[in-house]
Amino acid sequence: MESDTQRIARGLRRGDIAVLESLVEQYQFRLVRYLVSLLGRREGVDDFVQETWLRVLERGHSYDGRSRFEPWLFRVARNVAIDAMRKRPMLSLDASEDSAFRSTPASSEPSPYTLAARTQDAERLGHSLQTLEHVYREALVLRFQEDLSLQEISAIVGAPVSTVASRIYRGLATLRTQFTGDAV
Amino acid sequence: MILDHQVFQRGIDGSLAGALSAEEEQSLRQHLATCPSCCEYLSASNRAIASLGGFSFQVDPTLNARVMAALRLRAEEGRRVLVRPHKQAQRHSVPLKNWAAFAVALSLSFAGSGFVYQMAERLAVPTHYVSAQLQAEIVVFWLLPSLCAAFCLLAAPREKGIA
Repeated sequence: MESDTQRIARGLRRGDIAVLESLVEQYQFRLVRYLVSLLGRREGVDDFVQETWLRVLERGHSYDGRSRFEPWLFRVARNVAIDAMRKRPMLSLDASEDSAFRSTPASSEPSPYTLAARTQDAERLGHSLQTLEHVYREALVLRFQEDLSLQEISAIVGAPVSTVASRIYRGLATLRTQFTGDAV
Repeated sequence: MILDHQVFQRGIDGSLAGALSAEEEQSLRQHLATCPSCCEYLSASNRAIASLGGFSFQVDPTLNARVMAALRLRAEEGRRVLVRPHKQAQRHSVPLKNWAAFAVALSLSFAGSGFVYQMAERLAVPTHYVSAQLQAEIVVFWLLPSLCAAFCLLAAPREKGIA
């Protein structure tokens, strides 16, 4: 009996457009959400989304179907974003954790986090999400929104499991201060 | 006691991150049942996690259609790239000049082999060189490479014209 992941892998090996169409339908929202969390802005994400799916078409043969599809997709998306950022080093995602990557909106449009602050009347929370370093925000989103395991996140971000866990702890600690008022 | 709370609060972080073993989870649950301070810590953590879903963004309703159009276009391009060499291979035929070169190379192979054999035999007689061994060496070191070169001329692809 062929599992869903094996069916996806077989479809991707063949470059089956019908399989890709169902994947786009199924994962588009989560892909956009992940890229927004990674980049800290909405602007330009659609281009990354399109490039991600094109790369899925071209390199789909490397997905073996033995693990879940989402981590593989997010890893592809991350590589697309990093490749793009390397061409624009001012927005490098490869910066070390210490050199804070503050998500700076590239346009005058409000970022998703600013919108969150407006709509939820939670300005401090929006500010906290906005200023959270991208590595922490990415780890938190992958763990708590995409429901991925530490091992899967580790494979996506290319960091050891212990580093991923540490990012989650630090990210949580930063966000928690908005609810407890404790110093981190 | 404060140290205990810190240990358990690290445990709560670990539990949320999915890093605890079943035994550690069990121990943590037992502690939470009796510790309001750690329960408050867990509650704040859960609110922080829930806040992650609070940021808003919209997915462009035309995005899927645009992505699919790009995918179909790329797939079509990929098929054309795959089909082109196949058609070229079908069209591949050996031009006349390759046949001529093949014929010349073949003639030279045999003629050259014969010449080399004659020369070698004359030189070999005074030294009692075994004739059969000489023939074998000429076949291996002269005739076969020459034949290979001749067949390579046949298999060579046609030159592309300059547009």
